[in-house]
Amino acid sequence: MATVVTAQIAEEDATQGGVLVREQVGLWRDGLRRLRRNKLALAGAFYLIFIVLVALVAFAWTPYKPSAQNVCPVEFAYADGISAAHPFGCDPLGRDILSQMMQGAQISLIVGVGTSLIVCVVGISVGLLAGFSRGVLDAVISTVINAFYGVPYLLLSLVLYLVLGPGLLTIMIAISATSWMDMARLVRGQALSIREREFVEAARASGTRQGRILFTHIFPNALGPIIVQATFIIPVAILTEAFLSFLGVGIRPPLFSWGAIASGSNTGGTPLNLLQSAPWIVLFPSAALSVTLLAFNFFGDGLRDAFDPRQKR
Amino acid sequence: MLTRGTLIYIGQRLLLIAFTVLAVSFAVFAALHSLPGNPFVNEKLHGAELAAQMHLYGLDLPIPIQYWNWLKGAIHGDFGVSLAILNEPISPIVFREFSVSLMLGGAALLITLGLGTVLGVIAAARQNTWVDYTLTTFAVIGYSVPSFVLASVFILVFGVWLFNVTHGAFYYPLNWTGTYGTIEELSIPAIALGLYTSGQVTRITRAAMLDVIQQDYIRTARAKGLRQRIVILRHAFRNALIPVVSIAGPLIITIIVGSVVIENLFGIPGLGKEFVESILRHDYNIAIAVFTLYAALIGVANLLVDIAYAAIDPRIRY
Repeated sequence: MATVVTAQIAEEDATQGGVLVREQVGLWRDGLRRLRRNKLALAGAFYLIFIVLVALVAFAWTPYKPSAQNVCPVEFAYADGISAAHPFGCDPLGRDILSQMMQGAQISLIVGVGTSLIVCVVGISVGLLAGFSRGVLDAVISTVINAFYGVPYLLLSLVLYLVLGPGLLTIMIAISATSWMDMARLVRGQALSIREREFVEAARASGTRQGRILFTHIFPNALGPIIVQATFIIPVAILTEAFLSFLGVGIRPPLFSWGAIASGSNTGGTPLNLLQSAPWIVLFPSAALSVTLLAFNFFGDGLRDAFDPRQKR
Repeated sequence: MLTRGTLIYIGQRLLLIAFTVLAVSFAVFAALHSLPGNPFVNEKLHGAELAAQMHLYGLDLPIPIQYWNWLKGAIHGDFGVSLAILNEPISPIVFREFSVSLMLGGAALLITLGLGTVLGVIAAARQNTWVDYTLTTFAVIGYSVPSFVLASVFILVFGVWLFNVTHGAFYYPLNWTGTYGTIEELSIPAIALGLYTSGQVTRITRAAMLDVIQQDYIRTARAKGLRQRIVILRHAFRNALIPVVSIAGPLIITIIVGSVVIENLFGIPGLGKEFVESILRHDYNIAIAVFTLYAALIGVANLLVDIAYAAIDPRIRY
């Protein structure tokens, strides 16, 4: 009896020991494991994968050409929305809403990811520059950042977009111009704190050049928060594009975005008219947009908890 | 409270606001004047007539000089005349619309702060129960659903569906009748605008409450035998408000931006609607006046928030 018990205890010790002294894992595997435990984040990730697939499919195939008119009879367009041939209905010019929405998924993802990339490039370089150099340059950059915070971002993007002219690249630039500050401020703060750490001091003491310290010591150690921040830019950019398009000054035909479809501006109408005559044309793209933003927020929260555990919500 | 340091700080901030407003107004001025097209498209003017009209409004001068002329008036509160509605002075229009937007935005801010803090406190007081999980999930949903989507749903429910169900006896009127609007007309837009940001406030309040509840003085209050309600409301909530105040600045900007979309959706004659319309009809003077007003408003609001921040948290000194 006694030997059995001790054997059990020994076995439990062994398993517990296995848990306590787990194998060494790097930042990425550790984060991925934490991410996998978060159900909402996983659900968000799966929905996003679905949207990415839809966007990819839309490059090759949509039920109809999104801008093709009269694919359903014009008199049919508003009277009765939904049919097997046009599950999401048609707009007054007889264009298929489902096809437009598949393209909308493309536009949202391109604008979201593209803006995030531009913001990363601008924000990281400005932030590293300010945090690493300190002094006058830091003061100037910080003042500019603060000045940008005092601007109604949507309206500045709107003006900039009108000046730059319509297009996917210009809308990304217009949105980036008003959303790079968070990234720059974050990177600056990280650079300021990391440059005082012992390993940077050690690198400096051993005669490492400034540039090398910046790119091989400071930048990699700030990567966790940067990635998290980059994912949070994506929904902001998607939302801003939807706002602009909903106001009728964003993406225009022959390209279709969710915000533009919901606004009715594609056919020269107003959202209020559309809501009274064909509410489903507003509701379907609105729902797609909202769930996408929700998925990004759940996934982004999960990422933050997994890869940036020091940061408090 | 008003030490010399504080006054210097406020002075610096006012300088930064002035700098921002100047920079922003010049940028927008230059940007709008570089747009293709001119304000007189509808009058179908050509050649010499167009040139004469442009000269009359000073639009043929170099942009820095035009800006200087504009600035001289703007400092006295005179934003010039409308280019689309002939010789209509802008300042009265803009200030009237400003009051409409202020009512809408103010109501939305109250809804956001009220709802957000109450839900946040409830979630924190019931931490890790189903109440908490439901409220925090709703908070994320709340700030994921854009305000114009929420407003569209409200229009459908209160404007269209309710009208059909009650046969027109009780519903939300979709067409804005007066210049200023009644409480009834403002209610639905304000709720749509306020709900969107209340999710953020809920999250921040909840996190702050959870932080505060762990502090020693809360344990002391509980050890004294105070009831849970008193501990939460009188001891914890006051200090949990500090982080909430700190996000009030960004919150105000979000509400202003949201109000632009909401006003256009509901047809509310406020600054946001005017801004979009004036840009589209090349009425530069109005668009610039509205933008400058927004920038000044945000600057002053941020300064007031920071002063309030120092006033409620004695640990903060500027």
